[in-house]
Amino acid sequence: MAAPTGDVVLVIDDEPQIRRVVRNALAAGESRVLEASTGRAAIDLAAAERPALIVLDLGLPDMAGIDVCREIRAWSTAPIIVLSARHADAEKVALLDAGADDYITKPFSPSELDARIRAQLRRSRLAPAAGEGEVIVIGPLMIDPVKPSFKRDGVPIHLTKTEWELFRTLIKHAGRTLTHRQLFHAVWGNSSGDMQQYLRVHVRSLRRKIEADPVRPVLIVTEPGVGYRFDHE
Amino acid sequence: MTSAPASRRGIRTGEWAAWLVALALVTVVLVAFRARLNEAHYALAYLLLVQGASARGGRPLGVALAVGSFVCFDLFLLPPYGTLTIQNPLNWLALLAFLATSLISAELLYRAQAERAAALEAAHRAKDQVLAAVSHDLRTPLTTIKALAHELATPDDDRAAVIEEEADRLTELVGQLLDLSRIASGAVVVNAQPNEAEDLLGAAAQRVAGRLDGRELRIAVTTDDVLSFGRFDFSQTLRALVNLIENAAKYSPAGAPIDVWAKRDGRWLVFVVGDRGPGIPAAERDRIFEPYYRRPGVAPDAGGAGLGLSIARGIAEAQGGTLDVGEREGGGSEFRLSVPAIAEAELRRG
Repeated sequence: MAAPTGDVVLVIDDEPQIRRVVRNALAAGESRVLEASTGRAAIDLAAAERPALIVLDLGLPDMAGIDVCREIRAWSTAPIIVLSARHADAEKVALLDAGADDYITKPFSPSELDARIRAQLRRSRLAPAAGEGEVIVIGPLMIDPVKPSFKRDGVPIHLTKTEWELFRTLIKHAGRTLTHRQLFHAVWGNSSGDMQQYLRVHVRSLRRKIEADPVRPVLIVTEPGVGYRFDHE
Repeated sequence: MTSAPASRRGIRTGEWAAWLVALALVTVVLVAFRARLNEAHYALAYLLLVQGASARGGRPLGVALAVGSFVCFDLFLLPPYGTLTIQNPLNWLALLAFLATSLISAELLYRAQAERAAALEAAHRAKDQVLAAVSHDLRTPLTTIKALAHELATPDDDRAAVIEEEADRLTELVGQLLDLSRIASGAVVVNAQPNEAEDLLGAAAQRVAGRLDGRELRIAVTTDDVLSFGRFDFSQTLRALVNLIENAAKYSPAGAPIDVWAKRDGRWLVFVVGDRGPGIPAAERDRIFEPYYRRPGVAPDAGGAGLGLSIARGIAEAQGGTLDVGEREGGGSEFRLSVPAIAEAELRRG
């Protein structure tokens, strides 16, 4: 059950074996899989077919993966999931900043890939209005981002202005890893200062208010060296 | 970082002054023994000085010293003393030959050094490229092996599952070998940022979840509002901490909980991993951080290649910290990973 009927998924990879792995991971669903082995061909195919999701391997023969990502992102909102053999933080951050939605490091298991693809498809279908205006209920938590009000077991809990900004940004992009820079810009705009430090202070205080166990957070998840992600199902 | 150019300029000025003092000293000594020396001695003494200066301080200092030596040579060592004129016209020849020789030697030394630096840098770059390529070339086929084994798995045949597990083991090993070679060649990229202790402990708990064979991981944090900030590379330090927790799980009895906590110790932020294992005899406490070291009496299939601890120490040291081990009160071992802490005053200012 990888993806529901009709979804077109574009797989960009120069290794036929990896394309096969991705295709097989999607085979259980009814999505149509398109394949490209070069960046150029992929961009043309993406423009012609308008896929619902793109799986992009970074090691392409003709152009840098990050450029493919940037070029497609310029006119498409389809989620882009990056496959990479490298494990460098800087690369992950650069990709997310260039518009990628998620990345998976090799080797990955097919079920992990399948789960990530499904999560991105679900998210993109809800995308435009998610988190704006609706009251969100997560277990004992009730969040009304508009009012704004936040209750735990019916008891109102005060959030500072900064905590609200941070919370709203994370909720708006639920399921997606936001880089430190993206979070900082969304919450503080362009003000100067040590963003790493501000961000960590406020993430910690927000976690103390919303997480059942702030030391083992499950809602605001740390993506080591990259950023934070709001996770809730 | 703003003070770096200024201090470098300070070092430069100091170096130039030192060499000029050396020039003056050599001249004074040569003048003192003028009666017993000849032009060849003067020339050789000055040449030595010029070469020393250009080897240490580069081309500009070498040229300056060559010209300075030339003037001192003429002024104090070639009669009539105290003037730039020279009695014996042949000495002009000697003097010019000296100047040419010293300038050429300064230039040659400089070029040799520049070439060596460029070669070193090229070697470093090549090593990085090889590491990246190896990493890619090994991980890509592992992805295929793992995925195909996963597809072939059936409930009543565990062979495919074994292939998948072994692929995971190989992946782990490839990662460790790459880490180790990066550490050994000084190529670890450390991105030290202000980071918070609780965030790291939580990420470590998430990373080892389900990998401790049912042992409980207990995280202790201070409940007051003191922020424990340190300046460290989050993901590298996380790797080191995860290695320590997995090591603790490997060597402690089944069912014994593993404790992890953070504390301030002077200018250090210390992450401590405590186990209730047999402890480590004092004689072995340094050896366990050597790559591939295996403690005597420990089954060889305890998993891993014996690289986790040396990688963890390499990561600690690459960011100016330390990793050591000691006895734990009540039995077992305590591994202490220290990274530079950020003072409270510094935090408030931010």
